[in-house]
Amino acid sequence: MRKSYVNNNIKVNEFDALIKITVEMSRYLYPYIREILKSKEDIEENSVIWRDFNKRFIELIRERFNVDSMRVKKLLNQAENDAFIIKSLLTLSLCISNQGYQKLKNFLFDL
Amino acid sequence: MQNKLSFHQTSVSLEIIGLPDYSNNENKDQISIISQWKLTIIDKPLIEGKIEHLGPIMNAFYIYSDLLIKNKIPSYESKLIDIKAENLHIHNIVLKSSKPNVKPLILKIGNSLLSDTINCFDQLIESPKVRIKKPDLSSNIPKKFRYGLNKKVKFINFFIPPFFAICSLILFSSYFIYLYNPFENIEKKELINPE
Repeated sequence: MRKSYVNNNIKVNEFDALIKITVEMSRYLYPYIREILKSKEDIEENSVIWRDFNKRFIELIRERFNVDSMRVKKLLNQAENDAFIIKSLLTLSLCISNQGYQKLKNFLFDL
Repeated sequence: MQNKLSFHQTSVSLEIIGLPDYSNNENKDQISIISQWKLTIIDKPLIEGKIEHLGPIMNAFYIYSDLLIKNKIPSYESKLIDIKAENLHIHNIVLKSSKPNVKPLILKIGNSLLSDTINCFDQLIESPKVRIKKPDLSSNIPKKFRYGLNKKVKFINFFIPPFFAICSLILFSSYFIYLYNPFENIEKKELINPE
């Protein structure tokens, strides 16, 4: 899916390190993640945050992912990507505790 | 005098009231015998109950959030609590009272309040000052993945190239067999009728 021609396999310790970084970042960014989720709940009153976030998300996908891939095209489609984004944000928001590392790992293995 | 501990997460707070277990030589500020708990969600009615209600309610929230994330049908039903998804953003919670002739309490919460509530429960579970049964997170990992992601990736990489090679050989050979069949028939006819 990425714009990269190098297909290196991720090692277990690299995978663990990435999860730890993600958990730390989501702990730090929890207030923002929460606000994005909340803005989608009452979209008529508070749609600015969601629109800004979605716009930036799509910009980053276009910049870093292979846009010719069908899976990436689905991510770029605003009508289809809502569920994916909300579930990703919810997963991150549930992994901010001290056991967040274990939780996120379990969620990823079950995908 | 009872001890009181509070856990806060943005719009949700959880209060635990109880006593230490002196027979276990515990500190004065420890809570091992929970007598009451209160869950306060901003703009929603107060939820409170006894210790026997806290465990099932926490479990319900954990199981429901797990179902929600794993793309399974997000619905949980029990004697004490029902949680169902109204849509992607709103969740309906029905809290049933154990007392007779008491109407169930119906709450509608969004994803933000759901994550706040679960984070409050996480704080309670991780608190060294409260002794409560902890949910076993590690047992949720399927056995096939316990050996690590790297082994799975290596296993696939090991088998995919020969698999494609064999498939391509079969395809090419069947294509050539198809091409050569008519010529063979002509040759056979020529041998039978040499004219």
